[in-house]
Amino acid sequence: MRNQALLFINGKEHRVAGAEAFDTLSNYLRYTLGQTGTKIVCEEGDCGACTVLVGRPDSSGKELTYRAVNSCIQIVGQLDGTSVVTVEGLAPPRELNAVQQAMVSCHGAQCGYCTPGFVVAMSALFETRDRLSEQEVRDGLTGNLCRCTGYEPIIKAALAVDGSRMMRARDLYPSAPMLETIGAHCRDSLTIEHGERTLSAPVTMEQAIGIRSERAPVIILQGGTDLGVQANKRGLRPPLLMSLNGIKGLDEVRIDAEMLSVGGTATLAALETAIRLHAGSVFSPAHGHLAELANILGIFGSPQIRNAGTLAGNIANGSPIADTLPFLFVMEARLELTGRSGTRVVPINAFYRGYKQLDLEPDEIITRILVPLPPSGSEETLGLYKVSRRKDLDISSFTAAIRLQTTARTITAASVALGGVGPVVLRMPSVEALLKGQTITQDLFERAGQLARREINPISDVRGSRDFRLQLAENIFRKFYYERLEPRREMREA
Amino acid sequence: MPSVGRNIPHDSARGHVTGQSKYVDDLPFARNELIVDFYWSRVAHGRIRSVDTSAAAAIPGVAALFTYKDLPGQNLFGPIIQDELLLAEREVLFIGHPIVVIAADSREAIRLARNAIVVDIEELEPIFTIDAAKKAQWHLGESRTIRRGEVAAAFQEAEEILEGQWRCGGQDHFYLESQAAVAYPGEHDALIVHSSTQNPSEVQEVIAHVLGLPINKVTVVTKRMGGAFGGKECQATHPAAIAALVALKTGRPARIVYNKDDDMQITGGRHPFQNDYRVAFTRDGLITAAAIDFFSDGGAYADLSTSVMGRAMTHADNAYFIPNMEITGTVCRTNFPPNTAFRGFGGPQGVATIENIIEEIALRLGRDPLEIRMKNCYGVDDRNVTPYGQPVTNNTLPRLFTECAERSEYYARRAEVARFNRESKTHLKGIALTAVKFGISFNTKFLNQANALVNVYLDGSVQVSTGATEMGQGVNTKIGQLVADELGVDASTVLVMITSTEKNNNTSATAASSAADLNGGAAVDAARRIRTRMTEVAAGHLAAASEGELTASTADIVFAEGQVYDRRSAGRKLKFRELVKICHLQRVSLGERGFFATRGLEWDPVAYVGTPFRYFTKGCAASEVLIDRFTGMMRVLRSDILMDIGRSINPGIDRGQITGGFIQGMGWLTNEELRYAESGMLLTHSPTTYKIPNIQDVPEVFNVDWIDNATNVVNVAASKAVGEPPLLLAISVWCAIKNALSFVSDGKLDAPATGEEILMRLANQKPETRN
Repeated sequence: MRNQALLFINGKEHRVAGAEAFDTLSNYLRYTLGQTGTKIVCEEGDCGACTVLVGRPDSSGKELTYRAVNSCIQIVGQLDGTSVVTVEGLAPPRELNAVQQAMVSCHGAQCGYCTPGFVVAMSALFETRDRLSEQEVRDGLTGNLCRCTGYEPIIKAALAVDGSRMMRARDLYPSAPMLETIGAHCRDSLTIEHGERTLSAPVTMEQAIGIRSERAPVIILQGGTDLGVQANKRGLRPPLLMSLNGIKGLDEVRIDAEMLSVGGTATLAALETAIRLHAGSVFSPAHGHLAELANILGIFGSPQIRNAGTLAGNIANGSPIADTLPFLFVMEARLELTGRSGTRVVPINAFYRGYKQLDLEPDEIITRILVPLPPSGSEETLGLYKVSRRKDLDISSFTAAIRLQTTARTITAASVALGGVGPVVLRMPSVEALLKGQTITQDLFERAGQLARREINPISDVRGSRDFRLQLAENIFRKFYYERLEPRREMREA
Repeated sequence: MPSVGRNIPHDSARGHVTGQSKYVDDLPFARNELIVDFYWSRVAHGRIRSVDTSAAAAIPGVAALFTYKDLPGQNLFGPIIQDELLLAEREVLFIGHPIVVIAADSREAIRLARNAIVVDIEELEPIFTIDAAKKAQWHLGESRTIRRGEVAAAFQEAEEILEGQWRCGGQDHFYLESQAAVAYPGEHDALIVHSSTQNPSEVQEVIAHVLGLPINKVTVVTKRMGGAFGGKECQATHPAAIAALVALKTGRPARIVYNKDDDMQITGGRHPFQNDYRVAFTRDGLITAAAIDFFSDGGAYADLSTSVMGRAMTHADNAYFIPNMEITGTVCRTNFPPNTAFRGFGGPQGVATIENIIEEIALRLGRDPLEIRMKNCYGVDDRNVTPYGQPVTNNTLPRLFTECAERSEYYARRAEVARFNRESKTHLKGIALTAVKFGISFNTKFLNQANALVNVYLDGSVQVSTGATEMGQGVNTKIGQLVADELGVDASTVLVMITSTEKNNNTSATAASSAADLNGGAAVDAARRIRTRMTEVAAGHLAAASEGELTASTADIVFAEGQVYDRRSAGRKLKFRELVKICHLQRVSLGERGFFATRGLEWDPVAYVGTPFRYFTKGCAASEVLIDRFTGMMRVLRSDILMDIGRSINPGIDRGQITGGFIQGMGWLTNEELRYAESGMLLTHSPTTYKIPNIQDVPEVFNVDWIDNATNVVNVAASKAVGEPPLLLAISVWCAIKNALSFVSDGKLDAPATGEEILMRLANQKPETRN
């Protein structure tokens, strides 16, 4: 057993124990190491100023793959076994990498406070690519806010970068020696204690379940995208934290003809990538459904959030506005829960018992999410919707999933889930019943919308008024009809 | 080659991209340094019954706790009206009002101390709306009026009259770097304060004022700000003064850095406005009269609110000649944090009001709003005097309207929008082309002055110091370019130094878009004086060296490309640095202080008549939006900006001001909404809930350009100020949304036009247009 986390920062080895292991990475960089290039602004992962690269071993275990994450909501201890690269480490001293050079010549920096985050996030994009399209630039930099430039000069800078001439993190910091050290050090589980707080990082499921059973409540700290915020903003200091990063194979994402299967520590980014790489018939309903999910994932938080946050975390967090839940509800997803007494499988539709109340025993861990995919040849339509104040990097005001199974123009089965309109994501049985057996008409979806509106009782909050949410619930059926079902296709410019 | 006009990178760009640029909180912690914060009121309006700090004082690590009673000087201060208490005494007037200053060894001790302080407040009825303030007659300063022509008569004779109310919300500055200061105690009660401020002199004066020190004891230093946008013009003084208090009283360095949530909750922002208007016009759309009553929400203290209102009023005409006009302005007092300067400074609220009116006129008459705009546009030879009496000279507005319409293919796209809206059942489009005419100069005459210090060193390198502060806008880069050209040297040999009240005294805020105009003017003045002296020396030296061929003639001396020569004998060149050396040996001063005061300004601050501006920066923008009819979500498909910014000193920097200002304005008018709890507590106090524009919100097609205009010779290098004006071009986006809605509703729209605002307007659409 170890009591020191091991991480590399700009190629230099650091061993961290005690209080510092519980500090945020951004604080540790700035106030312990004096590396003040990394900036802290929002302390909640919503501005990207603190972005750093975190390298983890790829599937081969031979190379480190670097991804951008928000250092303000990661604690140092959870980065055990990683290589961190900050803005100071992107190029050798007195040199600029291609991204930095382009940001200088294209006036991509004004006040400079967001700039380190942008430079790091942009460098992350060029870790694996030589050139970016404008859409890739926009998608890749969604997690970084700038108040000065209006972004246009930053987009220009990214488009000007020739990644083939780029000093990349994986070139600047050779993986092999670091992986050797990490491999030797991180073979054993990690336990860091400070005062009343403990952070554990087991290396087997047995250990993990053991830790979770013997001392409760052990909070699983995986991406930390919510816990980090709670710690910074509400002073949340859970005494017992456990990271599952050390458990091999738990991050697997598998897609086959029948099933999408997502491991308990798979990040949302890994899920996105797996969907993108999945070869399947473009015309199959499964393909369409996965593409629909990928669209929703594309506006889930930001790249930094998706690189850290997991699907299991989104589920376990239990928020009524969790972006992935409506999809999982209408797809009748199942959760594989592993605990002391073995593994059980729970339908997600039965998992939530109330606001943040889960059918999850204190010793249990979500080890897999199973999403049955429709058989090829079936006739299905799925619409996933997220309405938020700002399209990107925002938390939903309202979410919806509508799934229809049809024969010709008759609905044989309907599943509807709405989020942001109650304490949990809601299935709408009455609306499903209304739709089932009917022929698709505009009038039917008008009535479905009106019924949905009557069935829900949303609250007014900072993300939207009750009236707004009622109107959205009504309209979303109209939107689904016009965009997905109307016989003569409309121009769909959006 | 002169450096003015060249696209030179920002002088801090390399530091920014490598993380080497230092901001206040990047300064290393000094030995013995204290962290400072304060306990602020959670009650918007109340009477303080008692303050008990005894439990907090007992917490380990807590070094000091101060209330207003501990201030050695005056608690009452204010930039225009002295009505503000730095630390609350008997009453709290807004959530965020500082009550107890806490100094401790660690953030944890601060947190514990803040929780341990007990302040008993009797809650009083708060005022949170302009209507409530109007009813209670609770105002800040005096109401003012601009009046021209025969307004009443014009309304009597009017062919058409429209009236209505237009409202806009506030805006948080959302500078990335929160308010911050570090105060270092010196000898004999002297203090050196590093402050993230647009106005080091004001910070210096306020610190001296509240600490009871002579001003010369306080030095305020500003390296740079991580954004400011007006938010650090007045409101940087509070944290700096609080840190200075701790440093003076404890003798220890003291650092204060607001966290983002506190910053957003306790500092003020852009003023919400609620404006009543009446406008008279002909059936052809020619405006004959307008009466506009502006009401702003000033918050709890005056801050700069009266001045902001002045700019709103002087921008109510915008690009349009309105022969009979009456504009009144009243600042309402509420129990919110004092609202303050924010890029545009009232101008956006004034301009948006008249642009909304124009859209309304066009709707009434069933005409293209652009036709109404061009018909009423200020003339070149006549119809070219503003309601407050300032002539609009070098008027490029008609040209900008025409060229912007052409370049944006406005007319064809407007027809296409109408066709689209007839056919699409899922989406709506809208398009609008609006203008800006922004007056450059501080409305307050005396502020239009600046001084500069230029030092030439023996190797020919140059340092320039001015009162301008760098917040990313590139003022230092521009000043460096101006000085380089004045001395005929390469811009890379000129360093613009940290701003300090020790080098430049009694300076004005870096504000009103005019920092480069004023400080650039002063720096050029200083450099020119040095060059004049060096010219004398060069003339003599070159004549002597010519062995009788030349007589000394200062008129023939040229400074260019780092060299100095007599144009009659251009083959014989002195390196600039050689001449510097010669000057030094001849005991000729190589340092100089420059001064600049804008000429031609006259303004009656009571009657609101005169020439408050040196010139106008102008522009037009056409924007097209797409709205989802079912969710209200909107995106900008295309924006075309065409401006008149004179001759650009640095095209890359100016372009960045245009794109940045435009997007920031778009945020104000679309997604940035301040929502409050019933208690008056701000709910949207972090980027999770307060949504500034994201990179995905940048228009899909975004064309930015300016016309060539060399006529602005009244300003340094014939340039024009560019910081604020482009923000107002984002009104084109808001008008485009209004245009879209007008296809299915009465077109009424307030700001910000959030998705919710849009959807609720759509939900009330005309039944016959409902699909």
